[in-house]
Amino acid sequence: MIETNEVMKTYETLSGRITALDQANISIKDGEFVLIVGRSGSGKSTLLSILGGLTRPSSGKVMLNGKDLWAMNDEDLSEVRGSELGFVFQFPGLLPTLNTLENVMLPTMFCSKVEEDPSERATILLQTVGLGDKLDSFPNQLSGGELKRAAIARSLMNNPSIILADEPTGDLDVNTEKEIMDMFCRINKLGKTVVMVTHNQDLACFASRVLSMERGIVSEEEGQKCERI
Amino acid sequence: MAKLSYGQFLWRNLKRRSFRNVATVLTFAVVVCSVLIASFLTEGTSNSTRAGMTRLGADLLVVPQEYASNADAIIITGKPSTFFMNTTEMTKLQAVPGVQRVAPQTFIATLSASCCALPTQLIAFNSTMDFTVTPWLDQELGRPLEKDEVILGYQIKGTDVGQPIIFYGHQFKVAGILQPTGTGVDQSVFVRDSDAIVMARESVKVAWQPIEMNPGQISAILVQLEPGADVQQVSADIAAAAPEVSVITSNHLARKIDAQLASTVGALYLTAGAVTLISLPLIATVSTLVVNERRREIGLYRMMGAKKGFVFNALLAEALILAMVGALIGLVSAAAIVIIFNNTITVSLGIPFLWPGLDAVLLQTWWVMLLTVLLGALSALYPAMMAARSDPYESIRAGQK
Ligand SMILES: Nc1ncnc2c1ncn2[C@@H]1O[C@H](COP(=O)(O)OP(=O)(O)OP(=O)(O)O)[C@@H](O)[C@H]1O
Ligand SMILES: [Mg+2]
Repeated sequence: MIETNEVMKTYETLSGRITALDQANISIKDGEFVLIVGRSGSGKSTLLSILGGLTRPSSGKVMLNGKDLWAMNDEDLSEVRGSELGFVFQFPGLLPTLNTLENVMLPTMFCSKVEEDPSERATILLQTVGLGDKLDSFPNQLSGGELKRAAIARSLMNNPSIILADEPTGDLDVNTEKEIMDMFCRINKLGKTVVMVTHNQDLACFASRVLSMERGIVSEEEGQKCERI
Repeated sequence: MAKLSYGQFLWRNLKRRSFRNVATVLTFAVVVCSVLIASFLTEGTSNSTRAGMTRLGADLLVVPQEYASNADAIIITGKPSTFFMNTTEMTKLQAVPGVQRVAPQTFIATLSASCCALPTQLIAFNSTMDFTVTPWLDQELGRPLEKDEVILGYQIKGTDVGQPIIFYGHQFKVAGILQPTGTGVDQSVFVRDSDAIVMARESVKVAWQPIEMNPGQISAILVQLEPGADVQQVSADIAAAAPEVSVITSNHLARKIDAQLASTVGALYLTAGAVTLISLPLIATVSTLVVNERRREIGLYRMMGAKKGFVFNALLAEALILAMVGALIGLVSAAAIVIIFNNTITVSLGIPFLWPGLDAVLLQTWWVMLLTVLLGALSALYPAMMAARSDPYESIRAGQK
């Protein structure tokens, strides 16, 4: 459950104050698949990173699973990021010094709420995303799609209840994009909340709800549903 | 591998960036190495001069004016020479206020000795007047030197206590060996002047170039000052009283050695400076890349739940490992260079050298290592601070656009 109350984010720049997020009041229930759409620069990434505890809002409140995110100290907030949230970005963000398996295992070094053997769990996750044969490969040896799938596996490592994805299919071809979207659907069906930012309006049909953004203002988008695959 | 351990994680980070890390380590190593060599040399030289003058046991050394530099060479590097002046100079010195005792010595560069292929410095001293070798004899042997006995400097090789040693066909017996001083004293042989005169007389029969040594002649006068006497003042008075002589003080020697060492030490510090300067822009450009890369990396750790303390520790540990490995390599190579090329260095620089005690070496090493490690820590803290100051999201995006 994510709820925001009058969340604002402004940036002071040389050319004046930019309001990236303007008094956002949104509510996302457990198990929802929510898409955030909108033009470039409309504030989508800003919203997502505030929801995920990665950017401190200028004002307002974010409640995540009953916790007031931005009232917490760094230790507790880190704990929430590590155990209750999984992130996937447009760029894969794997560490070049670690191989695929180690990259996926890495989150357990910071919080380990999962009881299973980290190496076994990481291997199973990588097999699930179709990278069972790439455990020992390093990020520079993987394709864009493979990197994205490894990042998805990593986001699931600590078994979070919420997955936040920022344009995870941005630079992929149509087929790969569909594969990745299917993956997020499966993750959602496992009961996890998925909040995804995208440029691609066509993807709206994967979601249960679409939030649209314009100049920092969030609004609910009606209709535009298609059958789930 | 069930779990990714902290150690494995650090090791991976170090190993996979091997080029950059090796370069960092080498930079640290070269800087530490040249700074340490410079400080070892300076310390070893002053230690040696101190030991040499103590061994001579004199406040001043008076020699014929035109042979002042020969005398310097005898003491500093042990380059042998023979020269004489009249014993009457001794009487002049005794009259100078502030002079407590004087003792004559005769320097003979031997051309023929059983021990040494190269000429050796024989130093003949007067058993009754001497106050430099005799105290040592009392302490170490408990008796004065007997007829045809010699004391060897530490570096005289090929013979041992109780064994014979022959100069100009005259057989001597080794009574003792002096402690090392690093100065020319180490390459000298001390004999009684009465024995030296006998040897000189015999040399006419055996040597192509016999020693010309007469009872009325000496090479140098060792002077001991009265307690509290001013070295400068007495030296000036001696110069006035005996215009034919030169006065050598330990200060004079130290200055001469310093001058000889200055260019080398300067060159070493220059090397350290140049390496630092050359690597600075390199390090700076690499660093901006690295800092951005580092910030992104830190942002990713934070995204995955890493607390600030973890990030801080990891960066510090990595930088400290690099700095310490570099400093250690620098230390080992500096020590190896100084130990292996000890003789070459001292001979080619014309300086005396005596390893400063282990505690002095450790103290200097400790300082250099401490500085290096501090430097390493500072370089690690910069990206950490940059990352700590901004939100994780901003860190993740650093250099991404
Ligand atoms: N660190 C920053 N400093 C100043 N302005 C910023 C900063 N980060 C974002 N902005 C501004 O905030 C606004 C929203 O940015 P945001 O990245 O959230 O947009 P977006 O909707 O994700 O765009 P895109 O689809 O291109 O990723 C933009 O106008 C951007 O220029
Ligand atoms: Mg964005």
